[in-house]
Amino acid sequence: MKRSTVLTEKNRIRWATVFSFLIILPLGLSVVGFVLSRGQETEVFLEAPDPKWEACYRDAEYMRYHHMDLLKDVREEVVRFGIRGGLTLAGCGDCHTNRDQFCDRCHEAASVRLDCYGCHYYPERVAERELERINPTLQGPGQEPTEIDPAVQDPEQEPARIDPALQAPQEGR
Amino acid sequence: MAMDVQFSKIEGRSFPYYLTVAVLASFVLAGFVATLIMHEHGLYLSGMTNRVPWGLQISMAIFYIGLSAGSLVVSGLYGVFGKMEYKPFARIAAYLAMLFLIAGLLSIFTDQGRIDRVFTKPFTYANATSMFSINPALYSGHIMICVLYLWALFKEKGTLTKITSLVVVLWAIGTHTGTGAIFAFVPRELYNSSLLPPSFVAAALSSGAALMILVIVSLSRATGRHLDNELVIWLGRRLLSIFLLVTLYVLLIENAHRVYVAAEHEAGMFFLFGGTHSFFFWVGLITVGCVIPAVLLFIKRTGTSLRWTVFASILVVVGVLFERYLIVIPGLIHPPELFPGWEIVDAVFLEGVASYTVSYLEILQTLGVLGFIGFAFVVGLKVMPLAPNEARALPAA
Amino acid sequence: MDRRDFLRKTGTALAGASGALSLPVLTSCADETVHADSVLEGKRWGMVIDLTRCRDGCTACMDACRKTNNVAFHDDARWDVHWIRKATIKPKDESVGHEEKSVLLMCNHCDNPPCAQVCPVQATYKREDGIVVVDHHRCIGCRYCMIACPYNARFFNFKHNPDWPNKEYPQRSHGVVESCNFCAHLLDQGKRPACVEACESVGAGALIFGNLNDRNSEVSRLATGGFAKRIRDDWGTKPKVYYIGL
Repeated sequence: MKRSTVLTEKNRIRWATVFSFLIILPLGLSVVGFVLSRGQETEVFLEAPDPKWEACYRDAEYMRYHHMDLLKDVREEVVRFGIRGGLTLAGCGDCHTNRDQFCDRCHEAASVRLDCYGCHYYPERVAERELERINPTLQGPGQEPTEIDPAVQDPEQEPARIDPALQAPQEGR
Repeated sequence: MAMDVQFSKIEGRSFPYYLTVAVLASFVLAGFVATLIMHEHGLYLSGMTNRVPWGLQISMAIFYIGLSAGSLVVSGLYGVFGKMEYKPFARIAAYLAMLFLIAGLLSIFTDQGRIDRVFTKPFTYANATSMFSINPALYSGHIMICVLYLWALFKEKGTLTKITSLVVVLWAIGTHTGTGAIFAFVPRELYNSSLLPPSFVAAALSSGAALMILVIVSLSRATGRHLDNELVIWLGRRLLSIFLLVTLYVLLIENAHRVYVAAEHEAGMFFLFGGTHSFFFWVGLITVGCVIPAVLLFIKRTGTSLRWTVFASILVVVGVLFERYLIVIPGLIHPPELFPGWEIVDAVFLEGVASYTVSYLEILQTLGVLGFIGFAFVVGLKVMPLAPNEARALPAA
Repeated sequence: MDRRDFLRKTGTALAGASGALSLPVLTSCADETVHADSVLEGKRWGMVIDLTRCRDGCTACMDACRKTNNVAFHDDARWDVHWIRKATIKPKDESVGHEEKSVLLMCNHCDNPPCAQVCPVQATYKREDGIVVVDHHRCIGCRYCMIACPYNARFFNFKHNPDWPNKEYPQRSHGVVESCNFCAHLLDQGKRPACVEACESVGAGALIFGNLNDRNSEVSRLATGGFAKRIRDDWGTKPKVYYIGL
């Protein structure tokens, strides 16, 4: 049997260091991320249940573990088979009006990056959605909301229904 | 007579060696950063446009794939044809071929709009009719066979070497035909041509053989290990020269056909005489890349001189680089004839002849890939016994 | 047994086990047939463009399309995306005539789409109702479909789109390819494409849209009646956008 000419007695330690560094670095980063995310709230909050919907599609436990499969299935149905009229993202937004409490809070804690909002509209703050209804603008999500021009506001329309509890989001529920 | 060829690692402790490694590593870093920037902000930072959606990265990708062919032919001289005097180069040829294939894949990967998706979706949703699905499968298979071949060479397993050498040479022909087919099987006027895959293979063999000549000679000069000039001269005079003639032949037929047949005449004339690319064709590819090297190699005085062979090889590599550019770009800048007999005088989009200028970020990306090949090769020489101790031509019987 | 033997045996065992365990994954294809029945059966959407009714200087279809579908506009011909676009053409041979005319160019939703043939992830595909659609969740941005389309009808999002006029429809992030999809989202709701509606609302009515499979529809009558022709149908792509007055 030939002796290895790459891994020798002399360079064993060097190779071992390189190898362990390559393994430990990503593991270490994961551990650090996990530790840093302890203490972050991960409960999804239902701000303003819309009377249009009786209940959510499934219970919270199911949604917590399977919302990604649900989204993927609906996506395939709509995009590849043209079957619409079922669940929509806007439908979820009727009750879960606030993206950063509905999606971002858990996703940031779990460190799972979302690719949705580069294309799909889902406002970060509930005020934005109401403003959009009153005074549609060209702005994408994440922009500062514009001031409402009173001249544009339809006098017959009901004023924006904003939950007073959400005026100071830092104070939680 | 049994040839007992010894291979050994290079020492790699000199200042020029460390400097080379450092420079190549910095190239890789630059390329990585450039790719990251374009991935984050969008490919508008490159020189590509909606009329020219493929540019430098794809041209270089097919250039690298082509270079892997020739080096495999050189290693095949030993493995398939049993030419023992070429055994010294078999290992570096196989290793370099593998690196070029990886570089080709890397060039394509870093050019995608959504690099984050390219690691999973092409595998789970592959399309059997798409050359972009078939080719990465061919390249990956090719890389694996090269690894097996290299292992067989290291372990001195005679039968396995012969088998894998034959398989890898045949597979290489398949890979390069497939790469040519990326362009040839598409209904664009200057792409759609059954002669494009053979032309691609011919140019690949030329550039690869030329590059192997350059690598063998520079390696021997840099490491101070002995190299018999006859080996290199034979590669030039008997192998490269033939590949060049085949390349010229296929190019001639392809262009003559285009110019002759009425339906493709206008496109053919645009390619040959219609822009800067025509200058690249006549001067860069034909004259500098094929005719001058062929003449140099066939004339006895220059063909038997190592210096002239090396010079001819440099010209061939440069010429084939022009050829890869000429495969990709002119077909895109030439507008399709949507309304025969009519010309477009005004439009909201660039409907006429387009143009393509390389951006500095694309150049950095290319440097990054080149740096990767160089780095992996140079470090590989130090870590594995790839380089021959000496390369001697067989004594006359 | 010595260390080398042990390593070799364990290595082979692990490789064999992982191979066997991953066999189900490797042999299953991506599940494309999640739903057997489809609402798209029986339809074959096509369009007839009557160039004699297309007005000079009118951009109603282009504006409506851009606004409805959030198509990127950067005021730069290199990166602007056009789902439908206008061009003015003139005879090359002056002895034939000097008359300039407007043409509309868009995705032809070919029955033999080269773009779908070459997409490495099947992100571009032909739906059952004949519309060639891009699944932007899957597109990797390789631009091969743009190379393959002989009509230059496909566009890449080079840059982030700063405008989002229609929040009820998604926009596309940079890095994916797109082209006209006959407003599939509107068709699925029983409405007509935005360009067709816009052209009618300005009174020109140059865009006629409908189901080519329905022999009684206007589009079917015009397409097969011998009045209309397609752009370069000699390419064999079988486009479904017909032109009157070309």
